[in-house]
Amino acid sequence: MGLQARRDERWDRPEGGSRLPEFEVFFRAHYRAVARLAHNVLGDFQAAQDVAQEVFLAAYRRFPGDYEQAAGWVRVAAVHSALNVLRGDRRRDKRQLLVQMVGSPPSVEDTVIEREARAELRRVLARLPRRSAAVLVMRHGGMSYVEIAEALGVKAGHVGTLLRRAESALRKEIDRETHS
Amino acid sequence: MRHIPDGVLRRLDDEPLAVPDKVIDHVSACERCGARRAEIARDTELAARLLSAPQLVHDTDIAWARLRRELHRRPDEEPGRRRRPTSVGRRGTRLPRVSLRTGMVIAALGIVLAGSAVAASLTTVFAPTHVAPLSLSQSDLQSITAFMGLGDRRPLGGFATPSGSTTFRFGTITWSSGPAHPAPSRAAAAAEAGFPVSLPARLPAGVGAVRQFIVQPRANATVKFNSTAASLGGSSVTLDAGPAVVAEYSGATSGTDVPTLGVATMRRPTALSSGASLSQIEAFLLGQPGIPAQLVEEVRLLGDLRTTLPVPVPPGASVHSVQVAGWPGVVLADSSNAAAAVVWEDGRGMLHVVAGLLDTRDVLNVADQLG
Repeated sequence: MGLQARRDERWDRPEGGSRLPEFEVFFRAHYRAVARLAHNVLGDFQAAQDVAQEVFLAAYRRFPGDYEQAAGWVRVAAVHSALNVLRGDRRRDKRQLLVQMVGSPPSVEDTVIEREARAELRRVLARLPRRSAAVLVMRHGGMSYVEIAEALGVKAGHVGTLLRRAESALRKEIDRETHS
Repeated sequence: MRHIPDGVLRRLDDEPLAVPDKVIDHVSACERCGARRAEIARDTELAARLLSAPQLVHDTDIAWARLRRELHRRPDEEPGRRRRPTSVGRRGTRLPRVSLRTGMVIAALGIVLAGSAVAASLTTVFAPTHVAPLSLSQSDLQSITAFMGLGDRRPLGGFATPSGSTTFRFGTITWSSGPAHPAPSRAAAAAEAGFPVSLPARLPAGVGAVRQFIVQPRANATVKFNSTAASLGGSSVTLDAGPAVVAEYSGATSGTDVPTLGVATMRRPTALSSGASLSQIEAFLLGQPGIPAQLVEEVRLLGDLRTTLPVPVPPGASVHSVQVAGWPGVVLADSSNAAAAVVWEDGRGMLHVVAGLLDTRDVLNVADQLG
Protein backbone atom coordinates (compact mmCIF):
# COMPACT_ATOMS: atom_id res chain seq x y z
CA MET A 1 0.00 0.00 0.00
CA GLY A 2 1.03 3.58 -0.52
CA LEU A 3 1.84 4.24 3.08
CA GLN A 4 4.25 1.38 3.26
CA ALA A 5 6.02 2.12 0.02
CA ARG A 6 6.40 5.75 0.94
CA ARG A 7 7.80 5.03 4.34
CA ASP A 8 10.40 2.57 3.11
CA GLU A 9 11.69 5.01 0.53
CA ARG A 10 12.38 7.72 3.04
CA TRP A 11 13.25 6.30 6.36
CA ASP A 12 16.70 5.34 7.46
CA ARG A 13 16.83 2.00 9.06
CA PRO A 14 17.70 1.63 12.72
CA GLU A 15 20.60 -0.47 13.84
CA GLY A 16 20.08 -4.04 12.87
CA GLY A 17 17.84 -2.75 10.13
CA SER A 18 18.65 -5.61 7.79
CA ARG A 19 16.12 -7.79 9.58
CA LEU A 20 13.55 -5.05 9.99
CA PRO A 21 11.56 -5.82 6.81
CA GLU A 22 11.22 -9.44 7.89
CA PHE A 23 10.18 -8.36 11.37
CA GLU A 24 7.61 -6.00 9.90
CA VAL A 25 6.01 -8.90 8.03
CA PHE A 26 5.87 -10.84 11.28
CA PHE A 27 4.52 -7.83 13.16
CA ARG A 28 1.76 -7.19 10.65
CA ALA A 29 0.73 -10.84 10.67
CA HIS A 30 0.38 -11.06 14.44
CA TYR A 31 -0.14 -7.58 15.88
CA ARG A 32 -3.93 -7.60 15.96
CA ALA A 33 -4.11 -11.03 17.59
CA VAL A 34 -1.63 -9.94 20.24
CA ALA A 35 -3.39 -6.63 20.90
CA ARG A 36 -6.71 -8.43 21.11
CA LEU A 37 -5.41 -10.84 23.74
CA ALA A 38 -4.09 -7.96 25.82
CA HIS A 39 -7.38 -6.16 25.33
CA ASN A 40 -9.30 -9.19 26.57
CA VAL A 41 -7.37 -9.01 29.82
CA LEU A 42 -7.27 -5.25 30.30
CA GLY A 43 -10.45 -4.04 28.65
CA ASP A 44 -8.62 -0.86 27.74
CA PHE A 45 -7.68 -0.05 24.16
CA GLN A 46 -4.68 2.14 24.91
CA ALA A 47 -3.26 -0.12 27.61
CA ALA A 48 -3.59 -3.09 25.27
CA GLN A 49 -1.64 -1.23 22.59
CA ASP A 50 1.10 -0.44 25.11
CA VAL A 51 1.37 -4.08 26.12
CA ALA A 52 1.50 -5.20 22.49
CA GLN A 53 4.27 -2.69 21.82
CA GLU A 54 6.35 -3.99 24.71
CA VAL A 55 5.83 -7.57 23.60
CA PHE A 56 6.97 -6.92 20.04
CA LEU A 57 9.95 -4.89 21.20
CA ALA A 58 10.98 -7.84 23.34
CA ALA A 59 10.35 -10.25 20.47
CA TYR A 60 12.55 -8.18 18.15
CA ARG A 61 15.50 -8.74 20.47
CA ARG A 62 14.68 -12.25 21.54
CA PHE A 63 14.24 -13.77 18.09
CA PRO A 64 16.94 -12.38 15.81
CA GLY A 65 15.69 -13.43 12.41
CA ASP A 66 13.72 -16.54 13.33
CA TYR A 67 10.15 -15.42 13.71
CA GLU A 68 8.51 -18.80 13.09
CA GLN A 69 8.87 -19.64 16.75
CA ALA A 70 7.87 -16.18 17.87
CA ALA A 71 4.18 -16.38 16.90
CA GLY A 72 3.20 -18.39 19.96
CA TRP A 73 5.63 -16.57 22.17
CA VAL A 74 4.19 -13.10 21.50
CA ARG A 75 0.69 -14.34 22.32
CA VAL A 76 1.73 -15.87 25.60
CA ALA A 77 3.84 -12.84 26.44
CA ALA A 78 0.89 -10.57 25.74
CA VAL A 79 -1.34 -12.49 28.11
CA HIS A 80 1.23 -12.59 30.89
CA SER A 81 2.23 -8.95 30.43
CA ALA A 82 -1.39 -7.87 30.51
CA LEU A 83 -2.01 -9.92 33.64
CA ASN A 84 1.05 -8.29 35.18
CA VAL A 85 -0.40 -4.87 34.41
CA LEU A 86 -3.75 -5.92 35.85
CA ARG A 87 -2.24 -7.28 39.05
CA GLY A 88 0.24 -4.44 39.35
CA ASP A 89 -2.52 -1.92 39.07
CA ARG A 90 -4.54 -3.84 41.60
CA ARG A 91 -1.70 -3.84 44.08
CA ARG A 92 -0.95 -0.18 43.55
CA ASP A 93 -4.38 1.17 43.83
CA LYS A 94 -7.42 -1.03 43.74
CA ARG A 95 -9.73 1.90 43.56
CA GLN A 96 -7.88 3.49 40.70
CA LEU A 97 -8.13 0.22 38.80
CA LEU A 98 -11.87 0.25 39.13
CA VAL A 99 -12.08 3.76 37.81
CA GLN A 100 -9.73 2.94 34.97
CA MET A 101 -11.59 -0.17 33.94
CA VAL A 102 -15.07 1.18 34.34
CA GLY A 103 -14.20 4.37 32.49
CA SER A 104 -16.47 7.34 32.17
CA PRO A 105 -19.91 7.67 33.70
CA PRO A 106 -22.15 5.48 31.54
CA SER A 107 -24.67 7.02 29.23
CA VAL A 108 -26.89 4.06 28.43
CA GLU A 109 -28.34 1.46 30.76
CA ASP A 110 -27.11 -1.58 28.91
CA THR A 111 -23.70 0.00 28.66
CA VAL A 112 -23.71 0.41 32.42
CA ILE A 113 -24.44 -3.26 32.90
CA GLU A 114 -21.84 -4.27 30.36
CA ARG A 115 -19.17 -2.07 31.84
CA GLU A 116 -19.85 -3.29 35.32
CA ALA A 117 -19.60 -6.86 34.08
CA ARG A 118 -16.25 -6.13 32.48
CA ALA A 119 -14.92 -4.37 35.52
CA GLU A 120 -16.00 -7.38 37.52
CA LEU A 121 -14.19 -9.64 35.09
CA ARG A 122 -10.93 -7.70 35.50
CA ARG A 123 -11.17 -8.01 39.26
CA VAL A 124 -11.80 -11.72 39.02
CA LEU A 125 -8.99 -12.28 36.51
CA ALA A 126 -6.63 -10.52 38.87
CA ARG A 127 -7.64 -12.92 41.68
CA LEU A 128 -7.56 -16.19 39.76
CA PRO A 129 -4.40 -18.32 39.72
CA ARG A 130 -2.18 -17.01 36.94
CA ARG A 131 -2.34 -20.18 34.87
CA SER A 132 -6.12 -20.26 35.08
CA ALA A 133 -6.41 -16.63 34.02
CA ALA A 134 -3.95 -17.21 31.19
CA VAL A 135 -5.71 -20.28 29.81
CA LEU A 136 -9.06 -18.48 29.89
CA VAL A 137 -7.75 -15.50 27.98
CA MET A 138 -5.86 -17.63 25.49
CA ARG A 139 -8.76 -19.93 24.68
CA HIS A 140 -11.38 -17.20 24.49
CA GLY A 141 -8.90 -15.07 22.55
CA GLY A 142 -8.93 -17.67 19.78
CA MET A 143 -5.90 -19.88 20.51
CA SER A 144 -6.30 -23.60 19.80
CA TYR A 145 -5.70 -26.36 22.35
CA VAL A 146 -2.41 -27.22 20.66
CA GLU A 147 -1.24 -23.60 20.76
CA ILE A 148 -2.21 -23.29 24.41
CA ALA A 149 -0.47 -26.57 25.21
CA GLU A 150 2.74 -25.31 23.59
CA ALA A 151 2.44 -22.01 25.39
CA LEU A 152 1.96 -23.58 28.80
CA GLY A 153 4.28 -26.54 28.28
CA VAL A 154 1.61 -29.18 28.83
CA LYS A 155 0.03 -31.88 26.66
CA ALA A 156 -2.89 -30.84 24.49
CA GLY A 157 -5.07 -33.38 26.25
CA HIS A 158 -4.49 -31.57 29.53
CA VAL A 159 -5.71 -28.20 28.22
CA GLY A 160 -9.35 -29.21 28.48
CA THR A 161 -8.86 -30.00 32.17
CA LEU A 162 -7.12 -26.69 32.82
CA LEU A 163 -9.78 -24.83 30.90
CA ARG A 164 -12.61 -26.57 32.72
CA ARG A 165 -11.08 -25.75 36.10
CA ALA A 166 -10.48 -22.17 35.06
CA GLU A 167 -14.04 -21.65 33.81
CA SER A 168 -15.45 -23.23 36.93
CA ALA A 169 -13.27 -21.00 39.09
CA LEU A 170 -14.32 -17.99 37.05
CA ARG A 171 -17.99 -18.75 37.57
CA LYS A 172 -17.51 -19.24 41.33
CA GLU A 173 -15.62 -15.97 41.62
CA ILE A 174 -18.27 -14.15 39.60
CA ASP A 175 -20.96 -15.62 41.88
CA ARG A 176 -18.98 -14.48 44.89
CA GLU A 177 -18.67 -10.97 43.49
CA THR A 178 -22.37 -10.89 42.76
CA HIS A 179 -23.36 -11.95 46.26
CA SER A 180 -20.75 -9.96 48.17
CA MET B 1 -16.94 -47.56 30.12
CA ARG B 2 -15.91 -45.16 32.87
CA HIS B 3 -17.49 -41.73 32.99
CA ILE B 4 -15.79 -39.08 30.88
CA PRO B 5 -13.39 -36.66 32.64
CA ASP B 6 -14.37 -32.98 32.75
CA GLY B 7 -11.44 -31.93 30.59
CA VAL B 8 -12.54 -34.20 27.76
CA LEU B 9 -16.14 -33.02 28.06
CA ARG B 10 -14.87 -29.48 27.82
CA ARG B 11 -12.88 -30.20 24.71
CA LEU B 12 -15.86 -31.92 23.16
CA ASP B 13 -17.50 -28.52 22.74
CA ASP B 14 -14.46 -26.85 21.22
CA GLU B 15 -12.75 -29.55 19.21
CA PRO B 16 -15.09 -32.53 18.79
CA LEU B 17 -12.88 -34.05 16.09
CA ALA B 18 -10.11 -34.41 18.66
CA VAL B 19 -12.33 -36.58 20.87
CA PRO B 20 -12.68 -40.34 20.11
CA ASP B 21 -16.06 -41.55 18.79
CA LYS B 22 -16.55 -43.90 21.72
CA VAL B 23 -16.44 -40.91 24.08
CA ILE B 24 -19.10 -39.13 22.05
CA ASP B 25 -21.24 -42.26 22.04
CA HIS B 26 -20.88 -42.58 25.80
CA VAL B 27 -21.85 -38.97 26.46
CA SER B 28 -24.91 -39.37 24.24
CA ALA B 29 -26.06 -42.37 26.23
CA CYS B 30 -24.95 -41.45 29.76
CA GLU B 31 -27.30 -39.24 31.71
CA ARG B 32 -24.68 -38.32 34.28
CA CYS B 33 -22.06 -37.30 31.72
CA GLY B 34 -24.71 -35.46 29.71
CA ALA B 35 -25.70 -33.44 32.76
CA ARG B 36 -22.06 -32.61 33.54
CA ARG B 37 -21.51 -31.59 29.96
CA ALA B 38 -24.47 -29.21 30.18
CA GLU B 39 -23.09 -27.70 33.38
CA ILE B 40 -19.67 -27.29 31.78
CA ALA B 41 -21.29 -25.68 28.75
CA ARG B 42 -23.00 -23.11 30.99
CA ASP B 43 -19.67 -22.12 32.53
CA THR B 44 -18.11 -21.97 29.07
CA GLU B 45 -20.89 -19.74 27.84
CA LEU B 46 -20.42 -17.40 30.79
CA ALA B 47 -16.67 -17.20 30.20
CA ALA B 48 -17.16 -16.65 26.47
CA ARG B 49 -19.64 -13.89 27.10
CA LEU B 50 -17.34 -12.11 29.52
CA LEU B 51 -14.14 -12.59 27.58
CA SER B 52 -15.34 -12.10 24.03
CA ALA B 53 -16.39 -8.47 24.20
CA PRO B 54 -16.61 -6.61 20.89
CA GLN B 55 -13.57 -4.49 20.26
CA LEU B 56 -12.43 -1.70 18.04
CA VAL B 57 -9.94 -2.75 15.44
CA HIS B 58 -6.34 -2.04 16.38
CA ASP B 59 -4.59 -0.16 13.60
CA THR B 60 -1.52 -2.08 12.50
CA ASP B 61 -0.03 0.80 10.49
CA ILE B 62 -0.06 3.15 13.43
CA ALA B 63 1.25 0.49 15.78
CA TRP B 64 4.07 -0.41 13.43
CA ALA B 65 5.04 3.22 13.01
CA ARG B 66 5.19 3.58 16.76
CA LEU B 67 7.26 0.45 17.22
CA ARG B 68 9.65 1.49 14.48
CA ARG B 69 10.09 4.85 16.17
CA GLU B 70 10.97 3.11 19.41
CA LEU B 71 13.55 0.98 17.63
CA HIS B 72 15.04 4.09 16.07
CA ARG B 73 15.10 5.91 19.35
CA ARG B 74 16.79 3.36 21.58
CA PRO B 75 18.06 0.48 19.48
CA ASP B 76 20.33 -0.93 22.18
CA GLU B 77 18.10 -0.64 25.20
CA GLU B 78 17.04 -3.87 26.84
CA PRO B 79 13.28 -4.39 26.90
CA GLY B 80 13.26 -4.82 30.66
CA ARG B 81 14.65 -1.35 31.19
CA ARG B 82 12.59 0.22 28.48
CA ARG B 83 10.45 3.13 29.31
CA ARG B 84 6.80 2.60 28.59
CA PRO B 85 6.30 3.78 25.01
CA THR B 86 4.56 7.08 24.61
CA SER B 87 1.17 6.68 23.11
CA VAL B 88 -0.68 9.21 21.06
CA GLY B 89 -3.22 9.57 23.81
CA ARG B 90 -0.69 10.34 26.50
CA ARG B 91 1.35 13.12 25.06
CA GLY B 92 -0.31 15.81 27.07
CA THR B 93 -3.02 16.61 29.46
CA ARG B 94 -6.67 15.78 29.05
CA LEU B 95 -8.88 17.72 26.70
CA PRO B 96 -10.22 20.94 28.04
CA ARG B 97 -13.96 20.97 28.60
CA VAL B 98 -15.63 23.00 25.91
CA SER B 99 -19.18 23.33 24.74
CA LEU B 100 -20.33 21.05 21.98
CA ARG B 101 -20.72 23.89 19.53
CA THR B 102 -17.26 25.18 20.31
CA GLY B 103 -15.97 21.65 20.00
CA MET B 104 -17.62 21.15 16.64
CA VAL B 105 -16.32 24.44 15.36
CA ILE B 106 -12.83 23.64 16.60
CA ALA B 107 -13.06 20.20 15.02
CA ALA B 108 -14.30 21.57 11.72
CA LEU B 109 -11.69 24.31 11.71
CA GLY B 110 -9.04 21.84 12.70
CA ILE B 111 -9.91 19.56 9.85
CA VAL B 112 -10.09 22.35 7.35
CA LEU B 113 -6.91 23.96 8.60
CA ALA B 114 -5.02 20.71 8.79
CA GLY B 115 -6.17 20.01 5.28
CA SER B 116 -5.22 23.53 4.38
CA ALA B 117 -1.83 23.38 6.02
CA VAL B 118 -0.92 20.10 4.45
CA ALA B 119 -2.64 20.70 1.18
CA ALA B 120 -1.29 24.18 0.83
CA SER B 121 2.14 23.04 1.82
CA LEU B 122 2.60 19.65 0.40
CA THR B 123 0.45 18.95 -2.58
CA THR B 124 -0.13 20.13 -6.06
CA VAL B 125 -3.58 18.61 -6.27
CA PHE B 126 -5.26 17.63 -3.02
CA ALA B 127 -8.38 15.47 -3.16
CA PRO B 128 -8.46 13.27 -0.10
CA THR B 129 -10.22 9.93 -0.26
CA HIS B 130 -9.75 8.95 3.36
CA VAL B 131 -8.86 10.33 6.78
CA ALA B 132 -5.87 9.56 9.01
CA PRO B 133 -4.88 10.80 12.47
CA LEU B 134 -2.12 13.37 12.87
CA SER B 135 -0.90 13.79 16.42
CA LEU B 136 -0.27 17.42 17.37
CA SER B 137 1.20 18.66 20.62
CA GLN B 138 0.96 22.22 21.86
CA SER B 139 4.64 22.68 21.10
CA ASP B 140 4.05 21.39 17.56
CA LEU B 141 1.45 24.11 17.02
CA GLN B 142 3.70 26.75 18.52
CA SER B 143 6.59 25.62 16.35
CA ILE B 144 4.50 25.77 13.19
CA THR B 145 3.17 29.21 14.09
CA ALA B 146 6.70 30.43 14.73
CA PHE B 147 8.02 28.76 11.59
CA MET B 148 5.31 30.31 9.45
CA GLY B 149 6.10 33.69 10.94
CA LEU B 150 2.49 34.19 11.97
CA GLY B 151 3.28 35.19 15.54
CA ASP B 152 0.16 36.15 17.45
CA ARG B 153 -1.61 37.54 14.44
CA ARG B 154 -2.95 34.32 13.03
CA PRO B 155 -2.50 31.35 15.30
CA LEU B 156 -3.55 28.06 13.78
CA GLY B 157 -7.01 28.37 15.21
CA GLY B 158 -8.82 29.85 12.29
CA PHE B 159 -9.25 33.12 10.49
CA ALA B 160 -10.62 35.99 12.53
CA THR B 161 -12.71 37.52 9.77
CA PRO B 162 -14.84 36.06 6.95
CA SER B 163 -12.38 37.38 4.39
CA GLY B 164 -9.00 39.08 4.32
CA SER B 165 -5.33 38.48 3.80
CA THR B 166 -2.16 38.34 5.83
CA THR B 167 1.52 37.86 5.23
CA PHE B 168 3.67 35.09 6.57
CA ARG B 169 7.33 34.27 6.28
CA PHE B 170 7.14 32.92 2.76
CA GLY B 171 4.35 34.93 1.17
CA THR B 172 0.70 35.84 1.64
CA ILE B 173 -2.49 34.05 2.56
CA THR B 174 -5.81 35.33 1.22
CA TRP B 175 -9.12 33.83 2.28
CA SER B 176 -12.83 34.37 1.87
CA SER B 177 -15.94 32.76 3.30
CA GLY B 178 -19.45 33.63 4.40
CA PRO B 179 -20.28 33.48 8.11
CA ALA B 180 -21.86 30.38 9.60
CA HIS B 181 -25.59 30.86 10.19
CA PRO B 182 -28.62 28.84 11.29
CA ALA B 183 -31.01 27.32 8.74
CA PRO B 184 -34.75 27.04 9.46
CA SER B 185 -34.96 23.33 8.63
CA ARG B 186 -33.04 20.33 7.46
CA ALA B 187 -34.43 20.74 3.95
CA ALA B 188 -33.36 24.38 3.87
CA ALA B 189 -29.88 23.50 5.11
CA ALA B 190 -29.57 20.76 2.50
CA ALA B 191 -30.81 23.05 -0.27
CA GLU B 192 -28.32 25.76 0.66
CA ALA B 193 -25.41 23.33 0.98
CA GLY B 194 -26.28 21.45 -2.18
CA PHE B 195 -26.13 17.96 -0.73
CA PRO B 196 -28.49 15.74 1.30
CA VAL B 197 -28.14 15.86 5.07
CA SER B 198 -28.39 12.41 6.64
CA LEU B 199 -29.38 12.09 10.29
CA PRO B 200 -29.47 9.03 12.55
CA ALA B 201 -32.81 7.27 13.03
CA ARG B 202 -31.89 5.99 16.49
CA LEU B 203 -30.26 8.23 19.05
CA PRO B 204 -28.25 7.32 22.14
CA ALA B 205 -29.94 7.70 25.51
CA GLY B 206 -29.72 11.26 26.79
CA VAL B 207 -29.85 12.83 23.33
CA GLY B 208 -32.97 14.83 22.44
CA ALA B 209 -34.20 16.32 19.19
CA VAL B 210 -32.31 18.48 16.69
CA ARG B 211 -32.39 22.00 18.05
CA GLN B 212 -30.87 23.76 15.06
CA PHE B 213 -29.10 23.35 11.75
CA ILE B 214 -26.05 25.50 11.07
CA VAL B 215 -24.71 26.10 7.57
CA GLN B 216 -21.10 27.06 6.96
CA PRO B 217 -20.80 28.41 3.38
CA ARG B 218 -18.01 27.39 1.09
CA ALA B 219 -14.60 28.87 1.94
CA ASN B 220 -11.36 29.18 0.05
CA ALA B 221 -7.85 30.26 0.88
CA THR B 222 -4.92 30.96 -1.41
CA VAL B 223 -1.30 30.77 -0.36
CA LYS B 224 1.08 32.66 -2.65
CA PHE B 225 4.77 32.05 -2.08
CA ASN B 226 7.27 34.88 -2.53
CA SER B 227 10.95 34.80 -3.38
CA THR B 228 11.98 33.93 0.19
CA ALA B 229 10.54 30.51 -0.44
CA ALA B 230 13.41 29.78 -2.85
CA SER B 231 12.25 27.52 -5.67
CA LEU B 232 8.61 27.93 -4.65
CA GLY B 233 8.68 31.66 -5.32
CA GLY B 234 5.80 32.75 -7.54
CA SER B 235 3.79 29.57 -7.13
CA SER B 236 0.43 29.44 -5.36
CA VAL B 237 -1.90 26.90 -3.81
CA THR B 238 -5.66 27.39 -3.49
CA LEU B 239 -7.70 25.43 -0.99
CA ASP B 240 -11.44 25.01 -1.41
CA ALA B 241 -13.47 23.74 1.58
CA GLY B 242 -17.14 23.34 2.38
CA PRO B 243 -19.97 24.03 2.42
CA ALA B 244 -20.81 22.24 5.65
CA VAL B 245 -23.98 21.57 7.63
CA VAL B 246 -24.01 20.88 11.36
CA ALA B 247 -27.09 19.40 13.04
CA GLU B 248 -26.99 20.24 16.71
CA TYR B 249 -28.98 18.08 19.17
CA SER B 250 -30.28 19.14 22.54
CA GLY B 251 -30.30 17.01 25.67
CA ALA B 252 -33.18 14.58 26.27
CA THR B 253 -34.13 16.19 29.57
CA SER B 254 -36.41 19.16 29.24
CA GLY B 255 -35.02 22.38 30.57
CA THR B 256 -31.41 21.52 29.80
CA ASP B 257 -29.75 23.71 27.25
CA VAL B 258 -26.59 21.70 26.82
CA PRO B 259 -26.15 20.26 23.32
CA THR B 260 -25.22 16.61 23.51
CA LEU B 261 -24.56 15.63 19.92
CA GLY B 262 -23.51 17.25 16.66
CA VAL B 263 -23.59 15.70 13.21
CA ALA B 264 -21.57 17.55 10.58
CA THR B 265 -21.50 16.87 6.85
CA MET B 266 -19.27 18.69 4.39
CA ARG B 267 -17.72 18.31 1.00
CA ARG B 268 -14.13 17.18 1.15
CA PRO B 269 -11.59 19.98 0.84
CA THR B 270 -9.58 20.13 -2.37
CA ALA B 271 -6.53 22.13 -3.43
CA LEU B 272 -4.95 23.16 -6.69
CA SER B 273 -1.38 24.30 -7.06
CA SER B 274 0.42 26.14 -9.79
CA GLY B 275 4.09 26.57 -10.39
CA ALA B 276 5.58 24.05 -8.00
CA SER B 277 5.67 20.30 -7.98
CA LEU B 278 4.72 18.14 -5.04
CA SER B 279 8.29 17.07 -4.42
CA GLN B 280 9.51 20.69 -4.47
CA ILE B 281 6.97 21.86 -1.91
CA GLU B 282 7.42 18.85 0.30
CA ALA B 283 11.21 19.01 0.25
CA PHE B 284 11.19 22.72 1.00
CA LEU B 285 8.78 22.67 3.94
CA LEU B 286 9.83 19.47 5.64
CA GLY B 287 13.45 20.47 5.32
CA GLN B 288 13.03 23.76 7.16
CA PRO B 289 14.68 24.14 10.56
CA GLY B 290 12.16 24.62 13.33
CA ILE B 291 9.67 22.02 12.18
CA PRO B 292 9.60 19.40 14.95
CA ALA B 293 11.20 16.16 13.82
CA GLN B 294 8.38 14.15 15.31
CA LEU B 295 5.81 16.13 13.37
CA VAL B 296 7.76 15.60 10.15
CA GLU B 297 7.77 11.92 10.94
CA GLU B 298 4.04 11.91 11.61
CA VAL B 299 3.33 13.75 8.36
CA ARG B 300 5.45 11.30 6.41
CA LEU B 301 3.61 8.41 7.99
CA LEU B 302 0.37 9.72 6.59
CA GLY B 303 1.38 8.27 3.25
CA ASP B 304 0.15 9.82 0.04
CA LEU B 305 -0.81 13.33 1.06
CA ARG B 306 -2.75 13.93 -2.12
CA THR B 307 -5.38 11.47 -0.98
CA THR B 308 -5.10 11.62 2.83
CA LEU B 309 -6.91 14.13 4.99
CA PRO B 310 -5.11 14.47 8.32
CA VAL B 311 -7.35 14.66 11.38
CA PRO B 312 -5.50 16.58 14.07
CA VAL B 313 -5.37 14.74 17.39
CA PRO B 314 -5.27 17.23 20.27
CA PRO B 315 -2.94 16.59 23.18
CA GLY B 316 -4.50 14.23 25.70
CA ALA B 317 -6.99 12.68 23.31
CA SER B 318 -6.91 9.01 22.48
CA VAL B 319 -7.23 7.96 18.86
CA HIS B 320 -8.43 4.75 17.24
CA SER B 321 -8.85 3.76 13.63
CA VAL B 322 -12.21 2.27 12.72
CA GLN B 323 -14.36 1.35 9.76
CA VAL B 324 -17.61 3.24 9.37
CA ALA B 325 -19.86 1.39 6.94
CA GLY B 326 -16.74 0.14 5.23
CA TRP B 327 -14.96 3.50 5.05
CA PRO B 328 -11.82 4.21 7.09
CA GLY B 329 -12.42 6.60 9.95
CA VAL B 330 -10.74 8.01 13.02
CA VAL B 331 -12.24 8.04 16.50
CA LEU B 332 -11.07 10.60 19.03
CA ALA B 333 -12.00 10.51 22.71
CA ASP B 334 -11.01 12.46 25.75
CA SER B 335 -9.19 10.59 28.47
CA SER B 336 -12.35 9.78 30.42
CA ASN B 337 -14.29 8.74 27.29
CA ALA B 338 -16.98 11.23 28.28
CA ALA B 339 -16.68 13.07 24.96
CA ALA B 340 -15.87 11.48 21.65
CA ALA B 341 -15.89 12.18 17.93
CA VAL B 342 -15.60 10.08 14.79
CA VAL B 343 -14.48 11.47 11.43
CA TRP B 344 -14.65 9.66 8.10
CA GLU B 345 -15.00 10.25 4.40
CA ASP B 346 -17.48 8.20 2.44
CA GLY B 347 -17.12 7.01 -1.13
CA ARG B 348 -19.06 9.99 -2.46
CA GLY B 349 -16.46 12.52 -1.38
CA MET B 350 -18.41 13.69 1.66
CA LEU B 351 -16.71 14.22 4.98
CA HIS B 352 -18.66 13.37 8.14
CA VAL B 353 -18.08 14.25 11.78
CA VAL B 354 -20.16 12.90 14.65
CA ALA B 355 -19.19 14.39 17.99
CA GLY B 356 -20.82 14.60 21.36
CA LEU B 357 -20.75 14.30 25.09
CA LEU B 358 -21.04 10.57 24.59
CA ASP B 359 -18.73 7.64 24.81
CA THR B 360 -16.98 6.09 21.83
CA ARG B 361 -19.56 3.35 21.39
CA ASP B 362 -22.42 5.82 21.18
CA VAL B 363 -20.80 8.04 18.55
CA LEU B 364 -19.92 4.96 16.50
CA ASN B 365 -23.50 3.74 16.72
CA VAL B 366 -24.67 7.08 15.35
CA ALA B 367 -21.96 7.08 12.67
CA ASP B 368 -22.88 3.61 11.47
CA GLN B 369 -26.40 4.82 10.71
CA LEU B 370 -25.05 7.56 8.45
CA GLY B 371 -22.34 5.48 6.69
